[in-house]
Amino acid sequence: MGKVSKGSRKGKKAWRANISTDDIHDFFEKSTKDALSGGSLAAVPSESLFFVDKSRDLLVKRKIEKQREKVLRTDSVLQKNPFVQAVPSTVSKKSRRKRKVVNIDVQGDNEEASVSASGMVDLWADESDGKLKKKPKPSVIPAVEVEPPGCSYNPSFESHQDSLACAVADEMQKVYKHELGPEPVPLTVPGEVIDEEDMYFLEADEGGDDDTSLENLEGDENKATENRSSKTKPVTRVELNRRARRKDLLKKETEAKKIGQQSKEINSLPDIIQEIAREDEEKQRRHLRRVVAQQERLKCRPPRLGKHKFEPAPMQVLLSEEITGSLRQLKACCTLAKDRFKSLEKRGLVVPTGRNRRR
Amino acid sequence: MPKHYRPAGKKKEGNAAKYVTRSQAVKLLQVNLSTFRRLCILKGVFPREPKKKVKGNHHTYYHLKDIWFVKHDPLLEKFREMRTYEKKLKKAEAKKNRDLYERLRTRKPSYTLDRLILERYPKFVDALRDLDDCLSMVHLFAALPALERENIEVKRIHHCRKLSHEWQAYIARTHKLRKVFISVKGIYFQAEVEGQKITWLTPHALQQVLPDDVDYSVMLTFLEFYETLLAFTNFKLYHSINVNYPPILDPQLEALAEELYALSRYLDANTRSARASGSDQVEGQENEKQHDESDLRLAQLQHQLPHNEPGALMHLVEDAAGEDEEDEDTKECKNLFKDMKFFLGREVPRESLLFVIPAFGGIVSWEGDGAPFREADQSITHQIVDRPTQGHKFLSREYVQPQWIYDCVNARIILPTEGYLVGRVPPPHLSPFVDNEAEGYVPDYAETVKRLQAAARNEVLPMPGTVKEDLEDPQRLLVEGIIDRAEANEAAEKKRKMATLEKQYHDELKMELEGAQYSSSMINQNIESNTASGEAREEPAPDLQQIAEDSTNMSKLVMPRKKRRLLEAMEIGKKRKQANVDLLKERKKKNEAGQTSKAK
Repeated sequence: MGKVSKGSRKGKKAWRANISTDDIHDFFEKSTKDALSGGSLAAVPSESLFFVDKSRDLLVKRKIEKQREKVLRTDSVLQKNPFVQAVPSTVSKKSRRKRKVVNIDVQGDNEEASVSASGMVDLWADESDGKLKKKPKPSVIPAVEVEPPGCSYNPSFESHQDSLACAVADEMQKVYKHELGPEPVPLTVPGEVIDEEDMYFLEADEGGDDDTSLENLEGDENKATENRSSKTKPVTRVELNRRARRKDLLKKETEAKKIGQQSKEINSLPDIIQEIAREDEEKQRRHLRRVVAQQERLKCRPPRLGKHKFEPAPMQVLLSEEITGSLRQLKACCTLAKDRFKSLEKRGLVVPTGRNRRR
Repeated sequence: MPKHYRPAGKKKEGNAAKYVTRSQAVKLLQVNLSTFRRLCILKGVFPREPKKKVKGNHHTYYHLKDIWFVKHDPLLEKFREMRTYEKKLKKAEAKKNRDLYERLRTRKPSYTLDRLILERYPKFVDALRDLDDCLSMVHLFAALPALERENIEVKRIHHCRKLSHEWQAYIARTHKLRKVFISVKGIYFQAEVEGQKITWLTPHALQQVLPDDVDYSVMLTFLEFYETLLAFTNFKLYHSINVNYPPILDPQLEALAEELYALSRYLDANTRSARASGSDQVEGQENEKQHDESDLRLAQLQHQLPHNEPGALMHLVEDAAGEDEEDEDTKECKNLFKDMKFFLGREVPRESLLFVIPAFGGIVSWEGDGAPFREADQSITHQIVDRPTQGHKFLSREYVQPQWIYDCVNARIILPTEGYLVGRVPPPHLSPFVDNEAEGYVPDYAETVKRLQAAARNEVLPMPGTVKEDLEDPQRLLVEGIIDRAEANEAAEKKRKMATLEKQYHDELKMELEGAQYSSSMINQNIESNTASGEAREEPAPDLQQIAEDSTNMSKLVMPRKKRRLLEAMEIGKKRKQANVDLLKERKKKNEAGQTSKAK
């Protein structure tokens, strides 16, 4: 410890006051501290002072782990969150598996094909997987509709008459529709051409109307003035009272009426319930009828798929004088191409187009 | 637009979200309209009618899911690729880059529809079920003329022809044909394959005209799919009877347009070889008749083929009879024309008859090269002609009109040929597709056919009434049989009635006697009671009716309303049907009356 600068001795009477006793104090403090803490550490051997801690301090460990587990936000965003539902994949697991199987099959088939040396493969070789989604048929109409017996090339008389009657009815319906429909606008109109100058003198309607309208206007004006004069009259107290009374009376009356109506309704509650039930039944029946009718309609006609309606082909039936009973003399009146196309249209596979398609 | 992303302002649900118009769909798929139509047809995606047509009534709507279904198909990508390839080709040609053009032209990308067929018909039965349209279309195009203007190529027509013949050969070979109906439109056939009834329509053997109002591009796209489908179906069917599929045909017959016959020979040969019944004898025969053909394929084919000889063919048919697991129907069909030989005249429709007769076990030949036997063959039993006069008539055979064959087939019995002789107007050709019982009205000829059928069945189990006295005239025999049977029935009825009456009489007598024994005083009463009981016995006939009526009324009353209504509706329907039948009968009566008056 270096020499401590002595302070001023002015006014110090005793020498003790100016002598420092810090070192002694320090020693004492130290010795007491040591005594309290259990001896000075310098004297203790190092073995007793330090040791390897083999016990587990969980708290500490957790702290360390926590420090280590810190995930970047970019990573955490990509991690699975239990509160967010995953978006379902568009390709289901089943189909994924199936596709693999199919691939394997194709390979196997290729080997087979090479064996058969024809380039053809038995597509339906393995029909083991029984559960396949069944596709609904696009139409209830069969692909090949067998014609009625009257359309035979050599029909029996009665069935022929039947079919012929059908065909004739169809034709007549067309004729009637044409006849009974609105008449088309004529292409030429009788009369003379009117000059442009004359057109200004043509009057839209006869002149009689104008006078009456003027009169009407005058009458309206008169009424308006009367009203105005009546409005200016002051309302007397008597009048007001009367009005109030009247209002009250009306209110009471309506209330009474309402109550009466209500009680009546309550009395006729069973009737109402019945009526509702009846209505419901009626509604249901109507719905059922509609559904059935639609089904029926679908059986003979496709749904309206486009701009044009489907028009069924006329029935192919021989006329009475055309029946010869000989296959050789059968008239070549129709081709199947049209029939097949109509069938496609009828089943709704092809959208019907306008009558005169190209050319 | 992906499935999970919905732009603002777009509808989330309802018809507006579920359906798109055709132009929207085209835009979505980014293809042109013709490609879109092709894709839709090939994938089996067809327009639908939404409940609410959001864009108006004059649009065609597709379901959005259908469009996605098309979008995920690899075919879409393939079509795009082909389109770009076409562009390259065009460019090379325009730049006169000959090398590149040639190289590109020879390596054009192509596509196959196998996967689509498997996708649309996961099982073979599904394919069979949907074969109606396919067969009709293929048969139609087999008969159409090739037309440059409509893009109908010769190659495709030939392919269709081949496919249709293959199908017919299979059906004829396995005797699966069930019904034939000749209408004005064409000929309807119905076959039963693996329990599925397949109906198809073929055109008449006449010049086919192509009408204008048919969209042939659409038809051709359908045909493309159907060709593939039918090829695979044929493959499967041929393999099921142990025959290699793409059949190798005798080019000579093919050149003569007798593919069907060639095919049937091929089938016979193949099945025989499969059964390993190749005999030296046949080969010996074969060597003699060997045509000078050096083709290896032909040699392969020919070496088991017994030749254009009826005996050998008969042998073949018998051989085929040894097949196993056949149902009743097939057996019946197979034996219909057994031991019969047909010869077709020049003027009859050969295609359909060549198909139908072998399908029912007959042997057939025709006029022309490559036919199995000549017209002069003595063993021919029937000659099919459609001409009023014949040049030379063989007495050993019957000359019938072609309709006879079809009617026999439909009735499943050999009909008497009298009505079908040359120069006569044959009896009406009835539709086998009509259920007469359900319809309620049975035409005359159907009734006679029915009677004949019953008689034929009875002949197999001879009834005591039938006496086989003149064997030359089977028809008379049959008719007699029917008459006999009817008479026997009547007699039996009479006998029964008599017996009941007798018994009644005896009972009465007995009762009376007993009554007399008990007490004579009671006789009067007894008699009275007897008379009363007699009256009672007489009455029951009307009474029974009354009771039946009452009971039906009772049950009607008891029934719930819904059922009663249904019953009433059914009755009304029945009445209507009955009225219809009555009308037909009335008409017929009138017609007959008119004819008789005319005759007078």
